[in-house]
Amino acid sequence: MTPVADRAAGSLGGKYLTFFLAGEEYGIAILLVQKIISSMPVTRVPRTPPFIRGVINLRGKVIPVVDLREKFGLPPAVEPEQVMIVVQVSGVQVAVVADRVSEVASISAADIDPTPDFGDGFGTELLLGLGKSNGRLRLLLDIERVLSSETATALTLTPALAPGD
Amino acid sequence: MIPSQLTLTQAGAAIDAAITAASDSGRIPDDADHSLLGDFIAESRESIAGAESALLSLEGNPDDLEAINTVFRAFHTVKGTAGFLGLDRLADFAHHAESLLSRVRDRELAYSQGVADLSLRASDALSQFLDAIERSALTHEIIALPTGLAALMRDLLDVDAVLLQSGTAATPAPHATIPHDVSESDATPLAVLAPIGAAAARPGMTGRAAGKPEPDLSVRVRTDRLDRLIDMVGELVIAQSMIAAETALAGAGQHELMKKVSHAGKIMRELQGLSMSMRMVPLRSTFQKLTRLVRDVALRAGKVVELVTVGDDTELDRNMVDAIADPLVHMVRNAVDHGVESPDDRARVGKPRAGRLQLEAFQQGGSVIIELRDDGRGLNRDRILAKAIEKGLITGTHSLSESEINALIFLPGFSTAEALTDISGRGVGMDVARRNVESIRGRIDIESESGKGTTFQIRLPLTLAVTDGMLVRVADERYIVPLTSISVSLRPTAEMLSTIPPHGEVVMLRGEVLPIVRLHCLFGIDGAVTDPAAAILMIVGEGEHRVALLVDQLLGQQQVVAKALGESVGEVAGISGGAILSDGRVGLIVDVAQLTLLARSGAASLRRIAHAA
Repeated sequence: MTPVADRAAGSLGGKYLTFFLAGEEYGIAILLVQKIISSMPVTRVPRTPPFIRGVINLRGKVIPVVDLREKFGLPPAVEPEQVMIVVQVSGVQVAVVADRVSEVASISAADIDPTPDFGDGFGTELLLGLGKSNGRLRLLLDIERVLSSETATALTLTPALAPGD
Repeated sequence: MIPSQLTLTQAGAAIDAAITAASDSGRIPDDADHSLLGDFIAESRESIAGAESALLSLEGNPDDLEAINTVFRAFHTVKGTAGFLGLDRLADFAHHAESLLSRVRDRELAYSQGVADLSLRASDALSQFLDAIERSALTHEIIALPTGLAALMRDLLDVDAVLLQSGTAATPAPHATIPHDVSESDATPLAVLAPIGAAAARPGMTGRAAGKPEPDLSVRVRTDRLDRLIDMVGELVIAQSMIAAETALAGAGQHELMKKVSHAGKIMRELQGLSMSMRMVPLRSTFQKLTRLVRDVALRAGKVVELVTVGDDTELDRNMVDAIADPLVHMVRNAVDHGVESPDDRARVGKPRAGRLQLEAFQQGGSVIIELRDDGRGLNRDRILAKAIEKGLITGTHSLSESEINALIFLPGFSTAEALTDISGRGVGMDVARRNVESIRGRIDIESESGKGTTFQIRLPLTLAVTDGMLVRVADERYIVPLTSISVSLRPTAEMLSTIPPHGEVVMLRGEVLPIVRLHCLFGIDGAVTDPAAAILMIVGEGEHRVALLVDQLLGQQQVVAKALGESVGEVAGISGGAILSDGRVGLIVDVAQLTLLARSGAASLRRIAHAA
């Protein structure tokens, strides 16, 4: 399922796992979420971009941990995050840190607005749209895009990062 | 239908009929049970591999009845099951191959070179047949018949003519050319043969006399299941060690509980060892294939070479056995083609006409060593050097040690064979062989003495999955340095250290000057010990790439299971992977070769320490 095609078809409605990060509420399509784990110590991997916080041991598998705060240019966390949301995107497992999980919300397609364009590409590139339910606004993440663009950035950023950090 | 029972004209007609039947291809029957088919192919391959090694051992000892029976049984089993599965072409072909062997077994035919060639060709054709059936099962296309099958069929059906033509002695005694005369051939004094000869005296019965099949005491398991099991056992061991390390347990005087926990731990480590050993397979089948190779290459090169294998029951991780097969093929080919001299040359220098090639495998510590030793002419270092200069691989000004010259043959594009043969000497091979071996963390060394022979030694870790590592600490981070790349670790005294302006640091160790690489600079770790005299230097790397790696502390030796770092992280320079440590956290495994490269690029220079301070 490609988000673009879905967007065109207007079938964005469905269940989203919502979580808090830096005071905002975000949503990830529930089908991509594998499990929610409580935060655990992360092993930093040197010479990787800052939004790759490191790796953890998830039941014997080594999986990367992605820090959306770094990715979105948000201020660092005041208190340590409580949870990690493990998503699986095209066969690859990645853990995403979140302050805390909110709920599983059903958001109908009619309640999803397109993201206004602020000119920085953030909204249009990384968000599926803005979900409105129970009077709250949720930023629905195009997590495939978020993670795949991370891979791309990770690879391009690594060499440039080398000295002086 | 046994060809020996027919008159010549009948035989001719039968041959033509059989060939016509065989030359139009078949399909796998629609109602074939595909799981049965898979089992059949796997089992048949095993029997044929066994048959092949028996055939080769027969070359040295043509009277080995057990070996003949093994081959016969293999062909017979293939025939029987193929018939059952409706693979008529294969069954038919196996039948003719079986008939040939039954005649040998019944002493109608001596096991001569001609018979040996025919049998080997037959076993090759059977393997190809199986490959074709496997492909056909996947693609549902017509089974492609092995090339030369028709010709081989013809030869099998008319064995006597072929043998007469090839000029080899077809029969043990002249009168045995009359194949019916079983009593005559029985009359030859062959006491050992009596029991089987009696049982198989009637040619029509040969198909039944296949003997008892050996009991198969193994179970086939898919490798992904096995890997999953090993992973889970690994998790279990870590979970256990986390319980054992729990302070609530250790500090609270819970002796009884502690005892039980550590007992469980012992069982789990045993379980881990056992599960790891399930991936291990003996090198036997790899060595068997080489036996065949030596025979073929020697024959083509007009040489006589005897291959002796030692320790083929040495076990290695399955993946490594696959990875080592090709390099060994190259090396064995080279040894036969270039290493061993022709019989005449050997006689001239007073060596036995037959060259000797010894393939030996054994375990030494945490490594498996495979040695290929020939008694040939040895490497011609002058010629290697001249060749390397001519090809521009080195410049003539170097003064190289013997072993450095030997190592030149591993350079890409190197070949010293004066005449290129179709077997080896095209300048590909040895460099590929070395790359393959290095890709599984192995190493090839050469020793060679002019006129006496050459020894290639391949050193491999026991298994790919487990790395013996030294756990080191830098500030509050932990890294694993593979033990194989560490030569020594020490705390230097101030006199051993020197600074070379503008930003070089070196340590002097037993007269050797080594550059210091600060891991904390390379990996950007804050809060590490910066004074080398208060930290530890690990001498890592090989040869001229050796460096002194600065770390805070050695935490101890540990066996770890290497894992990839997840795709989103991608390749990280200086890190080869991760491993789960005993506290459940991930430790990163240092890639020493890359690290030294990184260090050379100047990333860990002293300048940056000054900068940071």
